[in-house]
Amino acid sequence: MAPAFASLRRARPLLGTFVEISLAEMPTPAAEAAVEAAFAAVAKVHRLMSFHEPGSDLARLNREAGERAVTVDPWTFEVLEAALDLNQRSAGAFDVTVAPVLERLGLLPRDERPPAPARRSSRESIELFSGRRVRFRDHGVRIDLGGIAKGFAVDRAVDALRSHGVPGGLVNAGGDLAAFGPEPHAIHIRDPQDPGRLLCAIAVREEALATSGARFDLVRSADAAGVAIIDPAVRVPASAVRGATVRAGTCIYADALTKALMVAPANAPALLASLRASALIVLANGDVRVTDDWPAVRRAA
Amino acid sequence: MTEWVRWSAPAAVVLTVAAPAYAVQYLSVAQAQKLAFPSATRFSEAEGGRAWKAEAGGKVLGLLVVDHVIGKHLYIDYAVALAPGGRVQRVEILAYRESYGGEIRSASWLAQFVGKTSGSALRVGSDIRNISGATLSCTHVTEGVKRIVAAYGSRVR
Repeated sequence: MAPAFASLRRARPLLGTFVEISLAEMPTPAAEAAVEAAFAAVAKVHRLMSFHEPGSDLARLNREAGERAVTVDPWTFEVLEAALDLNQRSAGAFDVTVAPVLERLGLLPRDERPPAPARRSSRESIELFSGRRVRFRDHGVRIDLGGIAKGFAVDRAVDALRSHGVPGGLVNAGGDLAAFGPEPHAIHIRDPQDPGRLLCAIAVREEALATSGARFDLVRSADAAGVAIIDPAVRVPASAVRGATVRAGTCIYADALTKALMVAPANAPALLASLRASALIVLANGDVRVTDDWPAVRRAA
Repeated sequence: MTEWVRWSAPAAVVLTVAAPAYAVQYLSVAQAQKLAFPSATRFSEAEGGRAWKAEAGGKVLGLLVVDHVIGKHLYIDYAVALAPGGRVQRVEILAYRESYGGEIRSASWLAQFVGKTSGSALRVGSDIRNISGATLSCTHVTEGVKRIVAAYGSRVR
């Protein structure tokens, strides 16, 4: 009999991308159960926070929270709390109330109701109450958690793996990833606008990494030019930065911070420092900038 | 830390790195069958190289359908496990190949993956195992799953 130990690597289509889970060596049946639990956690986030599923917490909020307080799952509430925290910390650069703009650009399905009169930040538009109740200040507010839910899902998958006794591994949801355990993982970062080019490789250990940038499954929109990050201040696609990669303690913050960086790169270093995160950005002209605590890079292979 | 630092020698690195081929083999068809239907005692081919019926003690547990989608830079093998009645029980990616160098369309490039199992992690070109970058859409797989449900759902009895 072969020893019943294996390192596993599995992938499933979830959250609109491919979610991959890889584990260090451990007993096979336990590893399969752990991977199952981790994918279940990601699938739960997908069910709760998808813009496209009519039964999701998100869809209910967008339908009803302008009328009355809506009770949501603890996970949805946690994501909204983080979203509002980041909205405040980033002075509005990260904002989940940009859904109407994404709709207008054809990046989200259209809601026929008129959007909220711009321009109010999500801190003012969304109210959180005890008992996990959420209310929007007016009828036209619509939110999209696409800029933060994927990172949260990665964190929940890591929790699931740890609680199943997995000693180490990596969860990667289409480039938003987290590594745990003693082993460092080599991650290649590619230029979001030219995915054939790798910018660098870095070692990631007990931390999260997320990358945002121009989409390359391009949705045709001359207005958007393929970028799905919206500058909340002017409600048009961000253009100064073509790609951003953030390292942080949790993937939810890494994911959301990439969006804040795309919109307001000038203020980002202070924001990143306050959250003990570091970053690399690719500017529109192709220049690369890093925060001064970005790890020494080795040449991409 | 309040300012961005110009990254030393980015141009050199960016310009010298060639388009990588990124590929992972996750599961063989046999492994996918066992994972989807762990209690099955028998798998019989229902359609050559594409669909397998899972049975235990003469009872049909479900159907595993294998399919692939090809994009401009992507080639993905995936398996859909259907329960009796046609409900999707699980979707697993079997193999994932991504290339910006045009190799995907070449049969010989694809042939290198034949017979690989998840135990032999692939190292194509260089040691690229994990990538953080622009998100790849799984729309084609999602559409493929719907087609499979439509085509095979009523046949799982």
